[in-house]
Amino acid sequence: MQKEAFVQLCRQLSSRRDYNLSQAILNAVGEHRKYNPHKLPVIWLETNDSGDNNIAFMSSVYPYLQEVFDEMIDLLYSNTFMAAQGREALEILFRPAKKFRGRFTLVVEGAVPVKDNGLYNLIARTENHDITALEAVTALGGMAGHVVAAGTCASFGGASAARPNITGSVGVSQVLNREVINVSGCPVNPDWLVGTLAHLLMYGRPELDSLDRPTMFYGFTVHRHCQRRSYFDQKNFAQKLGDIECMFSLGCMGPRTGADCPYRQWINHVSWPVKVNTPCIGCTNEDFPDGSTPFFTPMSKKSPGQ
Amino acid sequence: MQRIMFSPVTRLSGLLSVEVFVDQNRVVEANAGSTMFRGFEWAMRNRQVSDAVYMTQRVCGICSLAHGAAASYLLDEMYDHDLTENAQYLRNIMYAADFLQNHIRHFYLFSLPDFVRMPGRPPFHGQNLTDARLNARDNQRLVENYFNAVKAAQQSHEILALFGGKAPHQHSFVHGGVAVSPTADKITQALALCKEIRAFIRNHMVPDTGLIARVYNDYYHIGVTPRCLLSFGLFKFGPKNDRVLWPGGVLYQDQLTFPRVDQIQEEITSSWFAEAQGELKPAPGKPGAYTWIKSVSYAGRPFQVGPLSRMIITGRYNGGTATMDRICARTLETLLISELMEEWLKAVVPGPPPIRQKSEPVKNEVTALTDAMRGTLLHSARIADGQVISYNIITPTVWNFSPKNSSGQRGPVESALVGTEIPRPDMLLTILGRIIRSFDPCLSCGTHALDVGNNIKLVLRI
Repeated sequence: MQKEAFVQLCRQLSSRRDYNLSQAILNAVGEHRKYNPHKLPVIWLETNDSGDNNIAFMSSVYPYLQEVFDEMIDLLYSNTFMAAQGREALEILFRPAKKFRGRFTLVVEGAVPVKDNGLYNLIARTENHDITALEAVTALGGMAGHVVAAGTCASFGGASAARPNITGSVGVSQVLNREVINVSGCPVNPDWLVGTLAHLLMYGRPELDSLDRPTMFYGFTVHRHCQRRSYFDQKNFAQKLGDIECMFSLGCMGPRTGADCPYRQWINHVSWPVKVNTPCIGCTNEDFPDGSTPFFTPMSKKSPGQ
Repeated sequence: MQRIMFSPVTRLSGLLSVEVFVDQNRVVEANAGSTMFRGFEWAMRNRQVSDAVYMTQRVCGICSLAHGAAASYLLDEMYDHDLTENAQYLRNIMYAADFLQNHIRHFYLFSLPDFVRMPGRPPFHGQNLTDARLNARDNQRLVENYFNAVKAAQQSHEILALFGGKAPHQHSFVHGGVAVSPTADKITQALALCKEIRAFIRNHMVPDTGLIARVYNDYYHIGVTPRCLLSFGLFKFGPKNDRVLWPGGVLYQDQLTFPRVDQIQEEITSSWFAEAQGELKPAPGKPGAYTWIKSVSYAGRPFQVGPLSRMIITGRYNGGTATMDRICARTLETLLISELMEEWLKAVVPGPPPIRQKSEPVKNEVTALTDAMRGTLLHSARIADGQVISYNIITPTVWNFSPKNSSGQRGPVESALVGTEIPRPDMLLTILGRIIRSFDPCLSCGTHALDVGNNIKLVLRI
């Protein structure tokens, strides 16, 4: 399959119950691997986040986790999944990093605290040394072929950097002197992450938007594709949570949030926030959450500076 | 005496390092340390208190709904909302769904590789399980169930997403009720998913737990903690969240009493915090400290929280307090909750969204208590003009991973580790890993617990 066709596939939009973009991705990956037997070597670091992105990743459907592990990626290091533990785990962090230097993909889940030399996050400790997230991300980021920020904390700081941000947390791109592919979302939709990894495996770097996010997922605003767009156009606004009209009046961030939630939806593609009569809170945005609060106040009256 | 830094303790949420001292094949001291800090209580200040439901879910990805629930209960009281029966059913269905995904994922994805030889490919390479006892056939079956569990946990989150919009960090379970409309199609879809999840739990998770418990039955005597157990209760009903299906309790010296918030105390002896002008400030590198978690105690003693505490306090489990007891109680709870979820799905009446939010708070200070997946959860807020002045959270992990307090008392995890015999040096990590993971560690959660104003109010709402 050609790159354009693959991107087209990712963009294919449907709200049918049996819609499974990811199954199609898997077929495409299978086809690709006839020619390229190597899976994508991945090192996954968890830094300052809530762990929501690895939980979201576990909810990937077609491919399920087993297929992701079997067919797509070699997850060489992951605090969440790896069977190894302690010093033995740490050793297999640095060995493959050298072996696959320039070829592995570094996935970072979480923001990187930089205040006080990054002591607010230690990815591991040895008997005589503390390894900060700042150190690990800087070192491994320099050796990786691609760096992927999974979730909004890793992409832009996110909730971990919410004001007053007493740990001085920043997105991964702030500590690396290189391009970081931001797959934002709080959490990331598993399709966005798995789709990005699939693109890297088969075609290399995906096309990115001005915030370095894959355009195939973030290229249009939620507002543009929202099922309730007709209500907005007729100025028919919800009065309260639970109403079926446009949620703009209740703080919806859809008009300035790039994400395909209205089509793709979540967890086997069954629903998304507006579908359950609540506003989109703009969780893929660079200024989430501060730019979205108060969550239930219309956009023009939000108070990010407070 | 040998000093070993067990770090990173993998297969959990967040980052954990445990320093152990081993002398003559026995663990003589353990310092359990959370190595991440985000400072959520600061982030909550000067925000509208109604933002708490969505903001505090970001504290934890694996138990996000519990934070949203605690914040909703807090706001329900602050605004004096009245909840409908349908709203409570829907809330508890979502609560149950998040419990099921958590417990299934914990048992299979995090705990199982402590007992089962996993395939030697990523991410299972370098497993070094030095005490594998299952025969090849059983081992293979459990490896297959690891991946079947992935699907069952995903289905649990699918139920949550059906009603909550997404998972983690659902949207519809908010203060005043639930914003989604329960319709026959959603209920049927959820029931169908529930049926499959229940079949997985009955046919796989329960027998698999039984097998592990039989083959590794020495773990009924390893990782024993003092019998100090605490629960704030789980699954609220009634218009004022005043009926609790599984009541909370304090079990101490075989006496069961109701928990009182005024008995809860936190301190920072071993934590990377310092006090200045009556305020706590993070102090990374503080000498003698080893964790971002504060010491918490009830009536001056550390208490264990989680499924084992709930199952013993509500009279559903009558075993001990060792590693295998914690694992078995969690599976038992999974089974019970899956049955309740089906019952509640059948009890929901199709209709409009059961939500009614009043516009003005009538109280300025509220403490809300519930149980989350890993144990007791406390949210406490003080507001003025609807804006947060202080917001405090005490998570389950703070109880279980409490570091040593000023009188040198160890928290439950440290107590469980100290005294453990290590027959051979190469078994150290295997044994310690089993004990630690039986508590279902979640350090993302633990790191926020900071009673900034040190002003937990004496409000009893169990």
